[in-house]
Order: sequence, then structure tokens, then C-alpha cells
Amino acid sequence: MGLQMLMNATLLGGLYALMGIGFSLQWGISGIINLSYGAMVMLGSYISLEFFNFFHIDPFISMIMSGAILFVIGAIIYRGLLQPFLKGGIVFTLILTFAVRLIVENIILKVWSADYRTIRLVYAGSNFQLGDVYIPLTKFLTFITAGILIYLTYLFMMNTKIGKGIQAVALDKEGAQAVGMDVEKMYMINFALGTALAGLTGSLWASIYSFSPHLLGPLVGKVFIIAILGGLGNIWGAAAGGLLLGFAETAGAGFLGSQWQEAIGMVIMVSVLLWRPYGLMGKKFFG
Amino acid sequence: MGENNTILKIMNLSKHFGALKAVDEVSFEVKKGEIIGLIGPNGAGKTTLTNLATGAYPKTDGKVIFKDLDISNLKPYQIARMGLTRTFQVVKPLIGMTVEENVLVGSLYGRDKRNTDMKNASKRAKEIIKLVGLESKKDFLVSDITLPDLKKMEFARVLAMEPEVVFLDEVMAGLNPTEVTEASTLVKKIRLEKDLTIVYIEHIMKAVMGISDRIVVLHHGRKIVEGTPQEVVNNPAVVEAYLGKRYAKGIKEANNEE
Amino acid sequence: MSNNKKVNIFLLIIAVVLFIFLPRFLSGYMVRVITTIFMYAVIAQGMNIMSGYMGYLPFGNAMFFGIGAYVTAIGMSKGLPFLVVVPLAAITAILFSILLGLPVLRLRGHYFAIATIGMSAAILSVVQNATEITGGAMGTTLPIIDKDPSIVYNYFYLAMFGLMVITTLSLYFIIKSRFGFGIRSIKANEEAANSMGINTTYHKVVAWAISAFFTSIAGALYAYWMSFIAPDEVFDVMIAVNTIVIMLIGGAGSILGPIIGAFIIELFAEVAWSAFLEYHLAALGIIIIIIVFFVPKGVTGTIADFIKRKKIRARKKVSI
Repeated sequence: MGLQMLMNATLLGGLYALMGIGFSLQWGISGIINLSYGAMVMLGSYISLEFFNFFHIDPFISMIMSGAILFVIGAIIYRGLLQPFLKGGIVFTLILTFAVRLIVENIILKVWSADYRTIRLVYAGSNFQLGDVYIPLTKFLTFITAGILIYLTYLFMMNTKIGKGIQAVALDKEGAQAVGMDVEKMYMINFALGTALAGLTGSLWASIYSFSPHLLGPLVGKVFIIAILGGLGNIWGAAAGGLLLGFAETAGAGFLGSQWQEAIGMVIMVSVLLWRPYGLMGKKFFG
Repeated sequence: MGENNTILKIMNLSKHFGALKAVDEVSFEVKKGEIIGLIGPNGAGKTTLTNLATGAYPKTDGKVIFKDLDISNLKPYQIARMGLTRTFQVVKPLIGMTVEENVLVGSLYGRDKRNTDMKNASKRAKEIIKLVGLESKKDFLVSDITLPDLKKMEFARVLAMEPEVVFLDEVMAGLNPTEVTEASTLVKKIRLEKDLTIVYIEHIMKAVMGISDRIVVLHHGRKIVEGTPQEVVNNPAVVEAYLGKRYAKGIKEANNEE
Repeated sequence: MSNNKKVNIFLLIIAVVLFIFLPRFLSGYMVRVITTIFMYAVIAQGMNIMSGYMGYLPFGNAMFFGIGAYVTAIGMSKGLPFLVVVPLAAITAILFSILLGLPVLRLRGHYFAIATIGMSAAILSVVQNATEITGGAMGTTLPIIDKDPSIVYNYFYLAMFGLMVITTLSLYFIIKSRFGFGIRSIKANEEAANSMGINTTYHKVVAWAISAFFTSIAGALYAYWMSFIAPDEVFDVMIAVNTIVIMLIGGAGSILGPIIGAFIIELFAEVAWSAFLEYHLAALGIIIIIIVFFVPKGVTGTIADFIKRKKIRARKKVSI
């Protein structure tokens, strides 16, 4: 694998890492397999698109709005739709999040159509060089931003009262309840954090790639893989999983051709499920 | 079966969870028809031992010999079918099914291969339900009955499997004194009728001492004493560390009453 | 046999006879619509035995539909007659379910569901790319039946109906049997089931094989009926979603639920399509939410609850 390919893989992996963490937190801690996650990412992209088209705001700045809006949406979805069904086994929450996906998908189709959209940044074409390797500026900025956001998430989990509350609830629900913690609130904030991360990912995505409702399904496929690779609820695990997927996809596209990408990803996921269901890192939260 | 009528042999059984030795080289034998009381404070390893014996947990070390066969590596369902069964400390009813259906499942998958067709199994289930006194509740969903009845049902379910050895894991937990006496009487009666061997895991001293032929005491995963109720009650280590002087006195009084 | 049962059987026989003669009174379009309903009912029964009765949701079960369709297409392209390929398709699906099921069914519920999605996506990808064998992403054709179209669609109507009846009857006898109690115990409390002497792995694998069997035959019939199939059509995740919704609205864990659900959903789809064309996705999404919130036990479940409540009220009156 050449150095350029390595660089491409790493830059892609960083974005995937950020994307995977949100889904992994939702599944691992709130116990919800969120089939609308891809739709949330795309919403982030479209929000940045609008901010760019109307106010000429750069997606690296409008991502804050994406994150905030998607945080609220996530909280509403969790509290209004999912919370009543947490005890009902997987069928209900799975099909409910799928219903959310359908609704969001329909909204996107109506408002923006199925056409691929892009954000044409002035600096989109520029790149800089490190030896023989070309690094596109947008991808580089995205990678750095993703890294910062991941680290901020980690700090949030480790150092804030709510973050520590979420950890406590994840490790021992009854214990947390016994000391008077509002467990449901923790689950809700965790879930909303997940959708916020999806929204942030969407904005970053929009700075580099084009996007359309067609991506809704495949994105969910990708975050499944990342979450399982990294172990559910494990931030650094998901980050590593994202990087791994970035590498697998780049190498796969390079050597096998892009049609096999999805198959490879799925085969990897099922293999990991069978061999190490707790993820490559083993059973740990937060890394 | 061995010359001395041993039906179950626990040999140097150990279970380590990382550094924690939940069960530490425990050995004892159970003779056919006995009631062995298995006691010890919370965390002593009684339920873990039950899980090991019935195949629910993999062992770290040791062997379990049942009817002269090494069952150490068998799966729970295989062990159950051989006649070694257990009830659960926290009842595990088959939710969504009625009392009768719960007992029927035990009867369908029990030991006697001849009678696992629907007709015979249903008949046997009905008999067992009558035997434990749940006939009036047989069509109730398990979600609609009280805890004592749930415990009775789990006992009935196990009996329907036609077992030879039953591990009763804290059947009395959550019952009031009247219910405890009722349960004790029921266990004694059925043990005689069905020729069962029972490993009786309990906290409530009065219940265990009054019913057991022998007692095994666990503490921190190790067996510290084995003997008749009298021997155990009089053993200084046990009395001080676990039973306490009050219990020892209470047992002596209870024994004087009989 | 109780009088109640006799009445039920009589009613069912009447229903069967009615359905057999129904096509004479309907347009070709309606016959085809109802054939599709029968087909979805079969796939939903496949879901039902796994999820409704056993508590393991095989989200990717459409893979067996696709396998059935493609084995049929490939077999017939080699000149094999339809009645020979169908058993082949079913056997292939069963083999897949056993090979994939043995490792995957020991995973907990969440993981099993996701693993089946992964498997389905992987198989889809392979079919799309193995162009020489499967015709690739563009799809593949099957021999067209050289007869009058109305004869053709009537045949498939009856065939799908027959499949639905056989599937439903089979499920009925399976659930009543000793094996059926084993399956239900797994959903009720898997740990307890194991402790009672139930070989849960065996039950899970066999249940999935049964599910695969019927689902694949539906796929085989579909392929021959349509004369043309494409990978993203027969491996579509929406097949799974639709059948889950059908199962839920009809009543999961009931024998007739999937059939009732298939009729209801198709009725809704017909009405909604013209009314909501541009919003059909959102409409389906909202329907799902409504069903889950207000009728989670489905039609049969809600009726059963209603009858139970009436019985309890009657019992209370008598005891006074």
C-alpha cells in the first residue's frame, strides 16, 4: 500500500471514527440500534448546505448548528418515541428507528430531491504536499476537526458530571439508580450526544464529498461495522474501528474494485461478531 | 452406582472469576435419597456451585460425577436430562405461558423418554400440579400469580422432569414464616413420594436444620465444615463465624421440640 | 373436539373455498395484488416463527427469499424444470440457514439481528458481482410460460395460496407440538429453557431452517411468476421491514396474524399509494409508529386481550 493510499485511508478513517462513535454510544449505552443514524448524518450535511447557500457560512462553522439541532432532535426522538419501548426487546426500537429514517428520508427527498448535492468551498481544490503525498486541505481540516471532536467527547465523558453519570449508568444501572441518579436522563443525553455526533459528521462530510439520500442505507451499514469492530459503547474502540474501516475500504477499492466494498465490510463485521462479539478490544467501556 | 450409594460427587470444584475465587476446591459427596443442606453467608459460593454442578458455568478446575459418570463438560440441557436439576434463587418462570404450560414444558423435556409425547406429558403435568397444590391456578399466566405460587410452580416444573437430584436454590427467599413452614412440609412430603435426593441451599437456619440429613458449610468459596446438623451447630468455627450463638440456641430448642 | 373448534374449522374451510374461487370475480390486477399478499404472508410466517414465537429477529431473512429466487433462475436457465428447481432452492436455503445459523444463533438477540443484516448485504453484494453466474446487478430472466396471461396469473394465485395455507398449517402443528413448546420456552426464558433439558441450539437452528424453507419457496415462485429478477429487488431490506410490520400489525406470535397483517398492509398500501405518492415513505414511517404505540400486539393480540378481559369480568360476576 503506497504512502498516498495510506494517507487517504487515514483521512477517511478519521471521519469514520467520529461517525462511528455516535452510533456505538447509542447502541452500547442506551441500548438502541439506531437505523436512522445515516439519516441523521445526512441531515447534518443538508443543514450545512443551507447555511452555506443562504448565509455563506463555512461548514466547519455551521457544524456547530448541525450538532446543536441534531442534539435536540435526538433528545426528542429518544424521549418521545423510544423510551417507552426499551424493555420490549429489540423488535420495537429497531422498527421505530427505521420509521424515523423513512420520515427523515421523505423530508430530504421532498426538500432537496434525490440529486447529489455539494458545498463548493473556495479552498476545496487546494492541497499541500508532504514529500510525495498530496493532502487535500478539506480532508486535512476534517481529520483534525474530527480528532478534536473525538477528544472533546472523551473529555466530556471523563470530566463532566453528566459524562461521569453516563459512564456510571453504563457500568451499573441499578447502582446508579441507588445513588439517586436520573438514569433515563443519562440515557437520553447519551442518545442525543450520538445524534449530535452524527450531525457533526454530516457537516464535515459535506465539506469533502457530495451527498444525497442514497447514502442513508450504506452509512448505517458502515457504522454497524465500526461499532462492532470497536466494541459497543467504547469511544476509542469506535475510533480505532473507524480507522480500520477507512483502511479496509481504501485498500479494497484500490485492489478489488469499489463494488466489493460493501461486501468486504459486511464479511468483516460478521466475522468479528462470530470471533470476538465484544469487539476487537474486548469488553470495556470508553477505552 | 457406587457401593456406598453415592449419586453425586463434587470433586475439588473451583471457579475463578479473574482473581476472585468464587468456589475454591470444594469436595463433598451426596448419597441417594439424602437431603444435604448447603449453607453459608451471601457470597459464599452456593449458587455458583449449583451453576457449576448443572453445567451453567464452565469450571476452572475439578470434576462433577453424577451416577458414576463424569458430567463436568456437559451442557446444562444434557445434565438436566440425565436427572440432575435445579430451581433458581430468583425465579425464572416462562413468561407469557400459563402455570400448566410451564410445568408441561418440564414434563415434555424431562428424563423419561417414553412419556415425552404430548398426551402422557400433559397427564404427568396435571398430576404434579395437583401434588403441589396449584390446581386452582393452573390456567393463570405466570405474570398473574404471587411469589410463593411462582416458587411452587418452579418446584413443580422441576418435579415434572422426573429428576433424581434437585438443587433447591434458596426456595424460601421472599416467603413469610407461614409460607416457609408450608414449603418445608411440601418438600419433605414430595421427597419421600418421589424418592428424591435434594441439595438444599438456604439461609433460613430453622428450615435447613430441620430437614437436612447432613450439612455442608461454605465460606468464601471454601468448604469449612461438613457433618450432621448437630455436629455443625456445635462446631465452634461455624457457630461463631456464621450461625451466631443465638441461632445455635434456637436450633437446640427446635430440636428439643421434635 | 369442542364446539368452538368445530366452528373455527368450518369457518376456515369456507374461507379457503372462497379464496379458491375468488379470481373468477376479480380483475387480473386484483388477482395479482392478492397473490402478492399471499406471498408476503408466507414471508411473514417465516419471521413469525423466529421472532414472534422464539424471540430471535432475523432482520435479514429476505436473504432466503433472494436465494430461492436466484437458485430458481439459475436452475431454469440450465434447462431444469420448475418443479425440480423448487426443492433445490429450498434445500440451498436450508443449508445456508444451518451453516450460517450454527455460529450466529448463539449470539444474543441484538447481535443476531445485525449479523443477519450483514449476511444479507454480503450475499447481495456477491450476487451483484458474480455476473457470469447470476446475471449481475442488471438482473436475470426466467423462461416465460407460453400460455394465456390470465391462466398464468391464476395459476400463480393458486400456487401462492397453496403455499400460504401449507405454511400456516405447518406452523400451527409445529407450535402445538413438543418442539413448539421448546421454541416458545426460548423466548419466554432461554436460561430456564436450557435448565429444563431443552437443547436450545438445536431448536434455534431448526426453527431458522423451517423459516428459510418457506421463505425460499416464496422466492422461487416469485421468480418464475415475474420472469425477471434483480438482486436489489429480491434481497431488498424493505422486504424484511414490510414483513416485520405485517407481523406486528397482524399480531406476532399468532398463527393467523401474518395473514391478517398482510391484507391490512396491502390495503393500506393500495389506498395510500394514490393518496400519498410523494409521501409514501413518511406515511409508512408514521404507520409503523402508530402500530407500535397503539396496537403493539396487533389485531389478533388486541382481540385476544379483549376476550380475556370479558372472561375475567364474567368470572367475577359468577363468583358473586
